[in-house]
Parts: sequence; C-alpha cells; structure tokens
Amino acid sequence: MSDFLYPFLKGEAADVDVLLDDLATSARAKAADSCQLQSDTVDRERTRLEAQAGAMAEHFDQGARLFTFGNGGSSTDATSIAALFSSPPWGTPLPAHALVADSAVLTALGNDVGFDLVFSRQLIAYAATGDIAVGLSTSGNSRNLLFAFAEARTRRMLTIGFAGYDGGDMGRSDDVQHCFVVASDSVHRIQEAHGALAFALWSAVQDHLASFGAERV
Amino acid sequence: MCALDLARRFAAGATMWCVAPLWAEHARHVAVEFVHPVIVGKRALPAVSMDAPEPIGALRAIATRGDVLVLIGDATTRGASPLLLRCSTWGLTTVWIGAGERPPAGAADHVLWVDGVAAGAARHNGSVVRLYHLLWELTHVCFEHSGLMPPPPVAHGGQACTTCADDARPAEVISVDRHGSASVRTAAGVETVDTTIIAPVDVGDLVLVHAGTAIALVREDPS
Repeated sequence: MSDFLYPFLKGEAADVDVLLDDLATSARAKAADSCQLQSDTVDRERTRLEAQAGAMAEHFDQGARLFTFGNGGSSTDATSIAALFSSPPWGTPLPAHALVADSAVLTALGNDVGFDLVFSRQLIAYAATGDIAVGLSTSGNSRNLLFAFAEARTRRMLTIGFAGYDGGDMGRSDDVQHCFVVASDSVHRIQEAHGALAFALWSAVQDHLASFGAERV
Repeated sequence: MCALDLARRFAAGATMWCVAPLWAEHARHVAVEFVHPVIVGKRALPAVSMDAPEPIGALRAIATRGDVLVLIGDATTRGASPLLLRCSTWGLTTVWIGAGERPPAGAADHVLWVDGVAAGAARHNGSVVRLYHLLWELTHVCFEHSGLMPPPPVAHGGQACTTCADDARPAEVISVDRHGSASVRTAAGVETVDTTIIAPVDVGDLVLVHAGTAIALVREDPS
C-alpha cells in the first residue's frame, strides 16, 4: 500500500526508531524535490509570468476584478490566491473573490443545475467584460473549470489557468489564454508548485502596478 | 514524531479538528487532504475544518479526549494560546503548523514550522502546504504499519499514592455549585472537585486539580 510512496519499507519493523529515521530522511528528500520543482517551474515560466502579470496589472488598472476557482485542494489554493490579492502581506490590495467561498451558492447551483456549472454560473452573475478569471486544476481536466473558462472568454475576460501533468484539456483549450503547467504527476507537488507560481505572479503584478504609478508621477 | 502520534490517534478513533482563524483556506486544505485523499486507495480519515468565529465554543461541544487539534497560522494568531490550552485540558493532542517567527516552546504538543520565510509569503507560496502534505504522507505510512500502532506500554513502578504524587492536572470548570464544589472536565473525563481553597470559580475557568481538589486557578494570556 505504501510501496510506491516509500519503497524501502518492507513488512513490519520492531525497531520504531530506525523506521522513523528512514521516514525523516525520505521526507527531507521529498521536501527538497518539491522545492526544486517549485524553483524549476518558476524559472521556466518566468517570461510568461511577467507577460501575464503585465496583462493582469493593465486589467486591474482599468478596474478589473479577479475571480478564482478550483476543486478540492485547488479550491483552497484558489481561496489563497484571492486572499493574497485582496489582503496582501505587503503592496496594494486588489479586488479578488474566490468562487468557492459560499457553500450556499455552490450547493444551490450544484443541486439545481449541476456541478459542471457551479463556476460558470457565478461568472455570469458576477463578472464583467475585462475582469480576470484564474482557475486551478492539478489534472487540467476538471469540467466545471472548462465551462467557466468558456464563459469567461465569451465575456472577454482575461483567462489564466494552472494545471499539472501535461496540462490536460486546459492546456489545449483556446479559452485559457495562458495555462501554467507544472511538469509533475504528483497532485501534492503540483499544488505546491502552483503556490510558488501564484506568489511569483502576484509579486510581478505588484511590481507592474508600482511602475505604472511611477510613470504617472 | 508528529506523524506517528497522529496515526496512533486515528487508529484509536480520533477526529482531527482543523482550525485556522486567519488562514482559513489552510484549515480546509488540511481537512480535505485527510478526509478525501488524492491518492486512490488511501483511507479516508475523519478530519473536519472548523470555520466558527469562536472555535473554542464550537470545539467544547464536539471535540472529545483522544481527538487531535491542528491549528494553522503564524505565531501572532489571535486566540491561539487559549485554544491550545483548552484543547490540551480536554485531552486532545495539539499540533501547530505555521511560519515566520516561532511561538514559545511548548505551545503545542507538536510544532511544525516553516523557518526562514516571512509568514505572509509562506502562507501563499506553497511552503506551508508542503509541510502538511508531507505530514499526511508520513501519517499514512505509519498508520498502515500495524506494528507501530499500539503505543509502547507505560512502565509502572508500583502504585503511586495520589496524595503524595506531584500530580496536578489541568481542568476546565463546567458547572459550579454553592457548596464549594464544581464539576470539571479533564483529559480523563468529567469529575467533581472541591474548590474551597481557591478563589470563587466561574464556568469556563481553568484550574489545576490534585486528589479531588482544585488547588490553583490558571491565569491565562488572553492572546
């Protein structure tokens, strides 16, 4: 059962201390792998991060609002991104809302029209032309995200995706103007790298907005 | 080690309560990791995110001894100290996951911390997420290793005399009567204690109990 996670473990061990040492060593190695994947991904995407951040900054400057969405762990990552933009640790607060925030809205839509439409219906209600849509999916294949991105494009929103594996359907979709893809098949490592990418994106948006301010002085 | 402790608690039927007053998304992320694992075939474990504005009150009613409290937030998290103290008093195992400047030593049974990164950055850049992802993985490895599950037997050197033993257990007052006694909740359950030697007590106060007597009132740091 744990074979593929920790292949060195065989059967039961009487010596707890030896096992715990082995687990600690393995955990440190996985943490190192995660950090490496994060920095490799951000480095590889640096040019595109700057480009998307520039686009986002221009949209924010025109009064855009950011809407984020995802499922499961990616829903909490979407919540984190919305909080990062709206209540930043430093820099300028920006209007952002996670479409997973309200369980009444989610369950009403899910129950009445189906879970595939829980995000697209909210964009219909809340979003305006020129707003920004950010969706996260480790597989890149979540249907409710694909529907949301399609709705976002009909509203001429800026659309940015975060995915893993080979990008999945999101990576191939014309509705996602840019999809950041983490080259991994581990859901956990992908989510961690999404955090690193999102933070780098936010930081670059702050820098672009600051430069707009400087140019206007 | 935290993961082994968690695994043993789960094996004994614990529920994991996840609280993050300032970093709400992390409480939900930890809960969903354990209750709906991303790896097919891993067992779903009872983990609940507590979003209540007043988590102590919410947990008092539903958390039981043997459960686990996971608090996620930086060292300045308001209400952290009273929450951890009460959960410990009720017999929960406490875990504090965070980043930035560390809390005081002993703040929780297990402190899992991202050092060297500003808390505001660690909250959002995947550092804190990595920490509890690894905790989840290690917990499952320990959990599935049945040889590790029963905790080692406690060595007994013979019966100790309660009166002579230097034993003072924390307890929370549940109800007070006018005859100098109170009903209190400890890690062992609910018991009645004599309160005549300490100041008048109120419901919710924390006291130290020795041999059926409340011997001291615990003064709390309100933050």
